[in-house]
Amino acid sequence: MHTILRHGYMYQYKGEDVFVIDGHVHMWDATEENIKHKGGEQFIQCFHDYHTGFTPDDRQRDMEEYRKFTPEDVKEDLFNNHVDVGVYQPTHLRDFYKEGFNTVDDLGQTLYQDHPDRFVLNGRWDPRDGEEGLKELERQKEEYDIMGAKVYTAEWKGDSKGWRLDSDDAFEFLEKCADLGVKNIHPHKGPTIRPLNKDAFDVGDVDEAASSFPELNFIVEHVGLPRLDDFCWIATQEPNVYGGIAVAAPMALGRPKRFSEIMAELLFWLGEDRLTFGSDYGIWDPDWLIEAVMETELSDEQVEEYGVEFDLEAKKKLMGENIAELYDIDIEERKKQLSTDAISQEFGLGDTYDAAAPADD
Amino acid sequence: MTTRDTVRARLDRVSDPELDESIVELGYVDHIEISDEYGVVTLAFTLPTAWCSPAFAWMMSVDARDEIESIAGVNRAVIRLREHMHQDEINEGVNARQSFDASFPDADGEVASVRATLDDKARLSRQYEAVESLLEADITPAQICGLTPADIDIHTGDDRRSEDAFAAVYLEAESFAVTVPARPLDRYLRKARTVEYITTENDTLFRTPEGEPVSVENFELVHRRGRLAQTNMTGQGGVCDALNESRRDKLNRDTPVAADAD
Repeated sequence: MHTILRHGYMYQYKGEDVFVIDGHVHMWDATEENIKHKGGEQFIQCFHDYHTGFTPDDRQRDMEEYRKFTPEDVKEDLFNNHVDVGVYQPTHLRDFYKEGFNTVDDLGQTLYQDHPDRFVLNGRWDPRDGEEGLKELERQKEEYDIMGAKVYTAEWKGDSKGWRLDSDDAFEFLEKCADLGVKNIHPHKGPTIRPLNKDAFDVGDVDEAASSFPELNFIVEHVGLPRLDDFCWIATQEPNVYGGIAVAAPMALGRPKRFSEIMAELLFWLGEDRLTFGSDYGIWDPDWLIEAVMETELSDEQVEEYGVEFDLEAKKKLMGENIAELYDIDIEERKKQLSTDAISQEFGLGDTYDAAAPADD
Repeated sequence: MTTRDTVRARLDRVSDPELDESIVELGYVDHIEISDEYGVVTLAFTLPTAWCSPAFAWMMSVDARDEIESIAGVNRAVIRLREHMHQDEINEGVNARQSFDASFPDADGEVASVRATLDDKARLSRQYEAVESLLEADITPAQICGLTPADIDIHTGDDRRSEDAFAAVYLEAESFAVTVPARPLDRYLRKARTVEYITTENDTLFRTPEGEPVSVENFELVHRRGRLAQTNMTGQGGVCDALNESRRDKLNRDTPVAADAD
C-alpha cells in the first residue's frame, strides 16, 4: 500500500518551523529487468527487510512497489512529506544492476533538471576506476557542480569485494576532490556483507583520510553502525568527521530507548554541530521518521549521565542547519526561493515558506 | 536421553559475536531435532538478514556444533543455517569440519582475528557493566583500579543467571568483603580470560580498550568508552532485532525455540 499524505505545509514542531534537509535520499531501480547478478536481488530484498522491520504497518510498501522509484514518486514522497531539500546519494552497484542501482545521472537528468534548488546532487567515485574514474569525477563537477560525493567502500567490482579510503588510489581521488572543491565526502559505513571483507565494516580508514585531508569533511553515513564505538572515537580526534544518522533514525519509533542512547553517545562524543539527519529514502519514508526523531526526548537520567541536551536547538541543527553549513545553503534565502517554486505551487506549500521568511521588505 | 532443554541450555552459551548475546535469547533458533538412536542432533537456525556477515554466521555455526557435541550421548551435530546468502558454503564446511579459509577461498582474512576484535569489544562492554555494579556498591575508582581476580569471590551456585548469585569483593584495608551481584563480574571475568587480559589471579582486573591497566587518571574516560561499546552492541541489537522479527513474519518460520520451550 502506498499512502500519499497531503501535508501541505512546511514542517513545524511545536509551532516552530523546522527546515529539513534530508541528508540521504535515493531514487533506485531494482526491477527484475535491471538485475544482472543474484547479489542485486539479495541487495533489494535486504533493503526491504530493513523497510518492513521499522516502517509502521500502514505505511509499508510491498516488494513490487519497492523495486523502483520514479521522479514523480520522489517529488511527492519527499517534498510533500516534510522535506524541504534532499541530498541525493548515488549508489552505482554496476556489478549487480545493468544500468546501475541509483546513479548520479538517474536524478541528474530527470527531477534535478527541473528542481535544482530542491536537491543537493552528490557525485560518486571509486578508486578502482582509475584514470577513467577521475575523468568521470571531473564530468560530474562540470555538469552538476557537485560539492560532495558518496563513496561505497563495500561495493563489488570484478574480483574485488571492496576498497579502503586510506589507500594510495583513494588518496588520489581525495586530492582530486580537494582540487575540484568537492569538499564533502560521504563514506557509507554499514553492515558487513562478505566474509572478512574488513573494509566493509571497518571505519578505521576514515581516520587517516580525515587527518590527511583537513580541507575535506567526512560525513560517515549510518554513524558506523555496527561500529559506533570506533566511529565516535575517531570523530573525537578528527574535527572534520561528521555523523549521518540514517539507519539509526528509524529506531526512534520502534526502539526509542536504543535510539535515545545512540543520540546521547553522539551528542557526548561529537556534539550537536556535527550530526546530520538522513531518511535513507526509499528505504524509509521521511515524514514519520522526522516526526519520531523530533519527538525523541532524552530521559532525565540520560541528561544527567551524559551531560548533554537534545533540545529543539540541537534538533534543528540535526534536521538541516548542520548540513546547510556543509553545502553553503543559506536557509532563509533558500526558503524564499522555495516559496515560489513549482513544487510549492503543486503542493500548496508557498504560504508557509512566506510566513516563515523574515519580514525584510 | 538427550532433551531439547539440554540442547537449548548448551546453545545458550553460543553468542552472536557482534551483539555479545546468546543465540537462544536472540530468537535465532528455529528448530532442534534429536535422534537418540544415532546420537545425532540437528539444529536449524536463521539470522536476522541473508547478508549477515558470513564470518559471524560461521562462528555461530561452529560454536553451536561444538557445544552440542559436548553433550554426553551426542555423537554428532548437524547444522542447518537457513536463508543465508552463503548457507551452502557454511553448512557444508561446518558439517564437514573444514576450515573457514577452505570454505571461503576468496576471503581476505581469517576468522580468528575477527573473533578476537569482537571479543575485545565484548570485554570492554562487560567491563562497563562490572564497574557500574562496583560503583553502585560505593567502591571508589581508586579501589576499583587496584582490584585483581584474587580479590573477587564469585558465588553463582548452579545457575549463572540466578538473581541470588553474588560476588564478594575484598578491598585493601577493609576488614569485610563488599557484596555485589555476581553476573556482571562473572560475565566480565569469563571474557577477560578468553581474550587473555587475565591469565593469573594477580593480574590487574580492568583494562583500557588498548589493554593497559586502568588508572585513576583515565578511569572516567575508559568507563565512558566502555559505555559506548555497550551502546554500540545494544544499538546494533535493536537493528538486528527488528530485522529478525520482520524476516520471521515473511519466512513464516517455526516459532523460536526460546518462546515455546518448557
